[in-house]
Amino acid sequence: MSEIKKIIKGCLAGNRRDQELLYRRHASKLYAVCLQYSGNDEEARDILQEGFIKIFANLDHYKNEGSFEGWMRKITVNTALEKFRSRHNLYRVDDIDSIKEPDAEPDNHDYAGLEANDLLDIIRELPTKYRMVFNLYAIEGYSHKEISKMVNISEGTSKSNLSRARVILQRRVGSYTGIKKKAVNE
Amino acid sequence: MSEPVANIDLLFRNGLKDFEVIPPPDVWDGISSSNKIKKRPLIFFRVAAVAAVLMTVGFLTFRLSRETGTVPDSVLAFNVEKSYPVISNEITRNKTISTKQITNISASAPSDRTEYMHPINIEKQAVSAESIVPLTAGRNLTLTKSESMVQSSLNPLQSSGSKTLNIIYSDLQYMPADKLMDRWSIAAMASPTYYSQFSSGNDAFSKELMESEQPLVSYSGGVAFSYKISKRFSIQSGLYYSSLGQKLEGINSFGGFKQFDNTKGDNNFEVPTTTGTIQASNPDVFLNSNASNRVVTPFTSNVFDPNKASLQYINSSLTQSFSYLELPVIVRYKIVDKTIGINLIGGLSYNLLVHNSVYTTIDGGKYPVGDTKGLNPLALSSSLGMGMEYNFSEKLSLNLEPTFRYYLNPFSVTTGSFIHPYSFGIFSGVSYKF
Repeated sequence: MSEIKKIIKGCLAGNRRDQELLYRRHASKLYAVCLQYSGNDEEARDILQEGFIKIFANLDHYKNEGSFEGWMRKITVNTALEKFRSRHNLYRVDDIDSIKEPDAEPDNHDYAGLEANDLLDIIRELPTKYRMVFNLYAIEGYSHKEISKMVNISEGTSKSNLSRARVILQRRVGSYTGIKKKAVNE
Repeated sequence: MSEPVANIDLLFRNGLKDFEVIPPPDVWDGISSSNKIKKRPLIFFRVAAVAAVLMTVGFLTFRLSRETGTVPDSVLAFNVEKSYPVISNEITRNKTISTKQITNISASAPSDRTEYMHPINIEKQAVSAESIVPLTAGRNLTLTKSESMVQSSLNPLQSSGSKTLNIIYSDLQYMPADKLMDRWSIAAMASPTYYSQFSSGNDAFSKELMESEQPLVSYSGGVAFSYKISKRFSIQSGLYYSSLGQKLEGINSFGGFKQFDNTKGDNNFEVPTTTGTIQASNPDVFLNSNASNRVVTPFTSNVFDPNKASLQYINSSLTQSFSYLELPVIVRYKIVDKTIGINLIGGLSYNLLVHNSVYTTIDGGKYPVGDTKGLNPLALSSSLGMGMEYNFSEKLSLNLEPTFRYYLNPFSVTTGSFIHPYSFGIFSGVSYKF
């Protein structure tokens, strides 16, 4: 029996040490996903907590088919989506025109020097709906049809949100790389 | 979809793949305390604790009700020497006493006055059946002024020319039996304590952890009050301070890490232990271990090498230290009541966590690392012991009490696997009776 299967078995038996071990092993990766889907740390923290509670509560539904990490990630993303849907009315999609233009020149072809931390910061600056659609489409690989059902929007809106998200991201990335290059040259 | 647009998707997909951020430390506390997570039942221990408390309370209630309540069949015996009545339960066990030999205190029976006291028995100053005066059924033990007939009923003894029994009214006031012995005592006790843990179950990880943990000899001490509820039984409480700890071998610590730490999280190193998870809150400390899974950190050996970074090596072990304030409820039963007395001791204690730290040592001094998360703020322990008591005067005695203590709930709420701490200590001290 592989180590992860032993841990899962222990978790199913209510062994607190195995539950903690499972958490310690995967929390950092899943917390990065939570941050990616949320605009603030408090919300990310809540998603991680609720996501793990669901993971432990539904472990007996995991059939050892496919990646366990992928299964946990899916639950975490679903938790983020639930959170998004429950607060849907509170979110305001900022008009694309109101977003401030970056100062530095965009550089679409040279992304060197950008680290994961920078990418996370950039993606978290997106308006909530754009961030949700971009994450589901570009990172998770869902289709617009699936996203429209998940986020409760039309396919057209999903496409439009994705397109706008990409434009903003390109500008931000350009801004980041431009600023970084400037800093290196100086 | 244009080329740059596809690139931006790939940039984020690849850039964020396998990215990790350490979550805030309290997230696990929220998860572990959720009642939606399956937990191993601790029903047996809870039932045992409740049963022990109920038995203790029930027993004490029973004893107290027998000794201080209105006892219809108790008798008053005149202790001539001390000239006041005392309760004598032992007399009631004498089956040879007949109602004819015993005379009720009753003003309506003047013709029986000569039977109140037998002169010979008074001379001998012995408490016998003839000198016993029972209370009428339902009467309270305390005599009141209305019972002054007792004095007048004794007059025939004086007029008969026999030995005079000089009993005045005030002598007949009921004197509780506890005036005859010191019921209260106060004791100062201290003990070195050996602390360890029981582990039941086949959890390999727990066993691995336990093998690397060495219990430390600690100490416990405090003040105890006890109240004697009968000749043999007494109940004891007080306040004790207990310090416990254990040493974790195989965890290397280094100093000077702060300059290399560029993460957002405030705790980069966690070490699971049987008593909880150590979190290194000191930003200058770097921890690693040779064994896998011992130190949970994003700064794994392939990410950061403390030797290449020229960090200062401190030690290869960590020490966990906990302190508890203990409030015991102990019942003592005296088996031998001589100059050297022997007691059986048993009871329960509430232990309140007051201090929790983790440190390593360098040049004999302590180097703080952090603390242990997930410790139970309140632990319930049961204790069993054998107390030896040397009475070198009526008031003072020297005590020696080897005591075994078993913690009914584990110190940590975040770890499981039926690990239950226990401790053994030999308490010694002096007690004063009053």
